[in-house]
Amino acid sequence: MKFLEVNPIVLVLINIVSPTMYIFTKASYLQFFLLGFAACLLILMGSFKRLFVLLGIYGVVYAIFETSTGLGVFNSWTSYLVVIIEFVPCLVLASLLISKYSSSQLLSALEGVHLPRTVVIAATITIKYIPAFRREFGYIKESMRLRGIPFTIRRPLRSFKFFIVPQLFRCASLTEEVTAAGLVKGINAPGRRSSYYSQRFRVSDALVLAVFAGGLAAGFVI
Amino acid sequence: MSDTVLEARELGFCYSESEEGIKNNSFKIRKGEVVLLTGDSGSGKTTLLKCLNGLIPSVTEGEITGQLLVGDKDLCEMKMFEKNRFMGSVFQNPRTQFFTENTTSELVFPMENYGMTKADMDKRIGELREEFGLDGLLDRNIHTLSSGERQKVALACALALGQKLLLFDEPSANLDYGSAMRLGRIIKGLKEKGITVIVADHRFYYLSGITDKVLLMNDGSVTCYESEEEFKNSGYDTRSFDLFSIKGFGISGKEERKSGENKRTTPRECVGKITDVSYKNIVSDVSFELYKGEVAALIGSNGVGKTTLARLMCGSIRPTKGKIKTSGMPFYIMQDPDYQLFGTSAENELMMVKKDADEVRTVLESLGLKDKRKAHPFDLSGGQKQRLQIGMAVLCDRDLIIFDEPTSGLDSKSMEKVATRINGLRNKSSVLVISHDYEFIRRVADRVIYLEEGRVKDDYELSEDTLDRLNGAFREMEMKQTCETA
Repeated sequence: MKFLEVNPIVLVLINIVSPTMYIFTKASYLQFFLLGFAACLLILMGSFKRLFVLLGIYGVVYAIFETSTGLGVFNSWTSYLVVIIEFVPCLVLASLLISKYSSSQLLSALEGVHLPRTVVIAATITIKYIPAFRREFGYIKESMRLRGIPFTIRRPLRSFKFFIVPQLFRCASLTEEVTAAGLVKGINAPGRRSSYYSQRFRVSDALVLAVFAGGLAAGFVI
Repeated sequence: MSDTVLEARELGFCYSESEEGIKNNSFKIRKGEVVLLTGDSGSGKTTLLKCLNGLIPSVTEGEITGQLLVGDKDLCEMKMFEKNRFMGSVFQNPRTQFFTENTTSELVFPMENYGMTKADMDKRIGELREEFGLDGLLDRNIHTLSSGERQKVALACALALGQKLLLFDEPSANLDYGSAMRLGRIIKGLKEKGITVIVADHRFYYLSGITDKVLLMNDGSVTCYESEEEFKNSGYDTRSFDLFSIKGFGISGKEERKSGENKRTTPRECVGKITDVSYKNIVSDVSFELYKGEVAALIGSNGVGKTTLARLMCGSIRPTKGKIKTSGMPFYIMQDPDYQLFGTSAENELMMVKKDADEVRTVLESLGLKDKRKAHPFDLSGGQKQRLQIGMAVLCDRDLIIFDEPTSGLDSKSMEKVATRINGLRNKSSVLVISHDYEFIRRVADRVIYLEEGRVKDDYELSEDTLDRLNGAFREMEMKQTCETA
């Protein structure tokens, strides 16, 4: 069940601001606030699968971190665990942008804040490229297995080379294909672009941002 | 003439990075005509099509000469967004066609770009839904649509602004026979509505009887035939207007085969055995055996489970029921070579399959890739990549080789070359070819396995006596699409 529609701009703003706030506020507070905030937002947006993923990853990594530090282990791996704990709520919220909004909705929302058309198109294509990248990664990995080329962590550089070279070439041709698909449909037409999907800034969006800002502000007080 | 919608006068284009291009092309296209643009690979078809749809010079850099007139306006001097108002484009690959992932988003995308109001967009969506039968297709994820459904959406998008000229780039490359014939009927319907259609394709059986004009490209220049009949009398290989008129079997097309001639007297070595295999609701109770020394063609409509069967045989997915036994891992050549090339050069790519420099050089020479041996695989043309893949199959020491649509997008001459090379593989392996290409199947297949609704409907050796069964299967695929459309 979905209780809340959120303007994609709100999610973009949250994702820009959240990581930078780790510089200014106490990480021990901010990580729990972001976890709680992201979990509430996911519930209100009806994204329960993502909520379980968030809580699952967070719980497992947090448990490993606590066990390691309890045993007196402090090394580069525990630092990585801290990074995961701090950023997983932001990543889960960012993934909403990819899965819940179409390119049209993102274009409309980004144009609503009067960004230049070239920036809007580039940002939209970048966001929408991520699922394509995931699909293509799957094809290449399967193809490596069929060719008998191992994808192994024992030889990470070699494996990475086999994976990344076709991916880069595919990326180049995908860029050309997506550009052509956009151009033949008038993406570069001058004048104001209209929107089929209403992406107005609603009261609910302001409330979400107010709760977010309030939570961040509390970090300075506590 | 007042009914001329497009006129090329001495149109030419030269790429900035090479000397290739097109030159001195003059022709007129009238309202409501269906125009076939054909020619061999590398003849300049794609370049001319890009000049027409505006991707030249908007995306591809180079020097354009001559004029491309719409009324008294020169298209070459117009911006891309101005051209798109009266000209729609349908690309070959669905991956390249869509900008968004949702059908409704995709339909309204051009309308939004031109600033239409929500009310106008709703009205136009209603019109398109009725015109193209889009009921049940709105607000769906494009990746979950069947190829036929995707084609409907692509067509509706291309005509979303009420364009009167439609350009198709190799629309049949990824379609089975039935879907291609359905496309032919759709094009006929568009023609009756006064929409001008230009189709660039190597295969044109689905345009038989509806083609008004043929533009035959050769070495960058176009020859214009004013009717289908005139084109048929031109001396160009136009067999593909009537697929079932093809005579004979084998590479030469002169082989005559009677029933039982393919059967060996010596026991055959089984290299793949599939027993009662099912996978989700895609494949059901499929059983067959594959033998060394034979080329088997796996045929069936789009989405019937052919590629799923290949992936099951390769262990990429596990069957939900049944057993698959193969003599080692099969060598699977995917439809898109870009996913399968990992080497730093063409030579290195083959060395990864077999570390025998002399044999690799011999194979490169036999494939006509000797000069390209140091080139990076991704710098090769589509046809050269395909040949490199065949080289990999020649060098591999696997008993079973699977090709997925190896002739997709190839002209008749290239198809015959691929057929010759695949034919040569039977001496060392069993070859399973997934294909929609009737002519290619006649050239290479010893045996046909016909898949319908995830089940093996027919399995026979291909000969004069069983030819009716092959033709019948293709006609059945057409009937199925006709019923679905109805």
